Amino acid sequence: MNPDHRQHHDRPLQSPARRRLFATAAAVTGSLAAWPTLTLAGAAGPGANRLVLVILRGGLDGLGAAPATGDADFAAARGPLAHYGAPPLQVDATFALHPSLVELHAMVGQREAAIVHAVGLPYRERSHFDAQQVLESGGTRPYELTTGWLGRALAVSGSKGLALNTTVPLVLRGRADVDTWAPSVLPDPSADLVARLERMYAGDPALATALERARQLRADTPMAMQDAAPATMAGNGPRPRAFVTLSRRAAEFLVQANGPQAAVLEIGGWDTHANQANPNGPLAAGLRQFDLGLAALRDGLVAGGAWNRTVVVVVSEFGREVAVNGTLGTDHGTGGVAFVLGGAVQGGRVVADWPGLAKGQRHEGRDLRITTDLRAVLKGVLGDHLRVARHSLDAEVFPGSQQMKPLQLVRG
Amino acid sequence: MSVSPQLQAAIAAHRFGLGEPDLALVGRDAEGWLAAQIGPADAARGSGLLDTPAALRLVAEEREKRMLARNPPPGTTAEQVLAGHYRETLIADARSRLATAAATRRPFAERLHWFWANHFTVSILKGSTRGLVGAFERDAIRPHIAGRFEALLVAAVTHPAMLRYLDNWLSAGPNSRVVAREARRAARQAEGARVSGINENLAREVLELHTLGAEGARSGAYGQPDVTAFAAVLSGWRIGREPAADGNRFDPNWHEPGRKTVFGKSYPEGPEALHQVLGDLARHPATARFVATKLARHFVADEPPRELVERLVAVYLSSDGQLADLYRELIQHDAAWSAAPAKLKTPEEFVVSSARLLGGGERMFERPEVNAGAAVLALGQRVMAAPSPAGWSDRGEDWLGPDAVWKRVEWATRIADRAGRSIDARRLAAESLGPRLGAETARQIERAADGSQALALLLLAPEFQRR
Repeated sequence: MNPDHRQHHDRPLQSPARRRLFATAAAVTGSLAAWPTLTLAGAAGPGANRLVLVILRGGLDGLGAAPATGDADFAAARGPLAHYGAPPLQVDATFALHPSLVELHAMVGQREAAIVHAVGLPYRERSHFDAQQVLESGGTRPYELTTGWLGRALAVSGSKGLALNTTVPLVLRGRADVDTWAPSVLPDPSADLVARLERMYAGDPALATALERARQLRADTPMAMQDAAPATMAGNGPRPRAFVTLSRRAAEFLVQANGPQAAVLEIGGWDTHANQANPNGPLAAGLRQFDLGLAALRDGLVAGGAWNRTVVVVVSEFGREVAVNGTLGTDHGTGGVAFVLGGAVQGGRVVADWPGLAKGQRHEGRDLRITTDLRAVLKGVLGDHLRVARHSLDAEVFPGSQQMKPLQLVRG
Repeated sequence: MSVSPQLQAAIAAHRFGLGEPDLALVGRDAEGWLAAQIGPADAARGSGLLDTPAALRLVAEEREKRMLARNPPPGTTAEQVLAGHYRETLIADARSRLATAAATRRPFAERLHWFWANHFTVSILKGSTRGLVGAFERDAIRPHIAGRFEALLVAAVTHPAMLRYLDNWLSAGPNSRVVAREARRAARQAEGARVSGINENLAREVLELHTLGAEGARSGAYGQPDVTAFAAVLSGWRIGREPAADGNRFDPNWHEPGRKTVFGKSYPEGPEALHQVLGDLARHPATARFVATKLARHFVADEPPRELVERLVAVYLSSDGQLADLYRELIQHDAAWSAAPAKLKTPEEFVVSSARLLGGGERMFERPEVNAGAAVLALGQRVMAAPSPAGWSDRGEDWLGPDAVWKRVEWATRIADRAGRSIDARRLAAESLGPRLGAETARQIERAADGSQALALLLLAPEFQRR
């Protein structure tokens, strides 16, 4: 890694005092599965476009991250959740961003980020696990499809996979299996042992394939990349800055001439059943970490000259109920928010067919009603940015979605 | 059963247990060996282990430290005040879990303990649960693995670790006394109420992950009104700041008054309603199917044989959820003894079965170079730290990424470097795998360049990686 490059990311926001505040908040509130991971996939040619998918696992509260402060029913509908400890960052007359999302707000101002609101999946129940299956598979019902939409899209576009993680997220599983690779802290087994293992695995295709891929990946990977173990590999307790570190690493891979075409970043901790409005609570702290990660990603891509060729899509499996629950948090809902950002994005706007927040306007009287199907967002990005043909999007990537027009979010 | 006694011993040792260095330990009656193990799990081994009341005291102490951390003493930071509070407990708990499994003579019971601890996941990744996970396994799971499912369900759901992990300790009935009191206080001090009603996290996950399963929701067995009403039943089940001496975890001040209707049935106000709902859930056919499928998937195959699942469902329903009967049916069924091993070991199973194979057992983990917890973590599975309430995956594909397999190769190489000079891998392979040892594996071990390489090959053999 280039030391200048590293220095470039030492942003003033991460002062020691700020770090300490965060550590305390994390210790007080705890968080569920806030263990971010990075997976890279697809081999792109030099100059080819890049796609980053950020999955916020646990169900991001869309109205917490992007409040509709200008909606006449907002204050009444949200009650104590309408207060953030600091003024929300205004985007237009109706919408704002959570005060933690400083960097994202700046990107909206620079017309490099768009907010897609009242968005969601065809799935309308409230199970994390089913919703994540639908989100990643690109189907309409849980377990209808067993591969992922991004894996299928990369396969259609002829990309061959490489993944930096011990396991492959469902969204990347496709016709062409994605390989995995992670920097190691253990000694390298001798080539002789590996040759013997290959003979021993002759009768076990699954083990043989995994071993062969791992061996090839190691042979093909430059030593420089093997140095630093990613933040997911070691250590104890939650790592507040792990997402920032991983975002930076993702950028380092993406800017390489023969780098991956797609990166998937996953970050948990959004299941905010309690203490959500607290300015040092889990939502504010999580969004801050997320925001710093987006900035690190942007800065790395700008420095490497790839930002203008990149689209970042941020999604979550569902939104949360509009009203506060009994513990100053929110329970599982349906409609939520997505973010699309990058140098290639037609940003500076909120894309929403706003359904309103009054009780009668909500889904089942509880949730923000979904008026934009997330698949329209994804189809727009895959079509305009990765050049996946419309008929492939309709039939293979999101089967049965012919009626759904892709949203135009990428600069023409 | 058509398989030979030797093959049965090998299957019993590896598929239902955690491996044995010598199949002679199983003997000629493999099914009898397993059946004799059915019962509560062994007491956990190790020192520094807290029971539930002691673990709750540790949590209470941490709370006091947090108050102190708001105004840290001069020259210290909040981080320093809080640092390392749970460290000794977390290390003792993880070490105990691995050492108990490595040393036990009842590995089938230990596997069942792991299975249920994963079914009722609580995880140290959540701050409010830290320090309680070991006590949860020891007090709520180990004693209850071979009784009725209902008893296990009640023990798991009402344990403080679960009440905290899934937020129920924060959930109050909207019409409860504590909510009324809090509203008055908030009005007086002109600020928002900290507690105003229900948090439905635990209610939803009990239905989806512990009893009826997500399939139950998809098939319409329950809907949002049931979740909300069940959450009202659960309100008041919490651990107060002062844990009651009698272990009573119900606080009527937080409970929603009045009767509640769940699944069309009316339940009374008060703590007994939870036992009634959990009893009804335990008897529900969807629960029988969910539990039977998970058990068969865990021991037999990622896609378990349908007839085996159907038998287990039938036994569950006819025995009123007697888990011992379920296990007996499982080990009597031909499908459970298929010769070809279908399951890939998880990292934890691989590390512990390696320790048992090398004969160090419990002692092996006391050697500083064998940090088993670090090994399991490096292989992708942090002990007692499942990433979500759904627990660790029980499907091979989730552990079969090229990198995950490569990490196993690296770890086996390191262990074999240290142990291989004093161990005859050829003999160990024959004695531990018996007739399951394939010709190609035997040949590769025979031809290995040295003892360490031979041992690495044994640990990495498909016959040892699968079960």
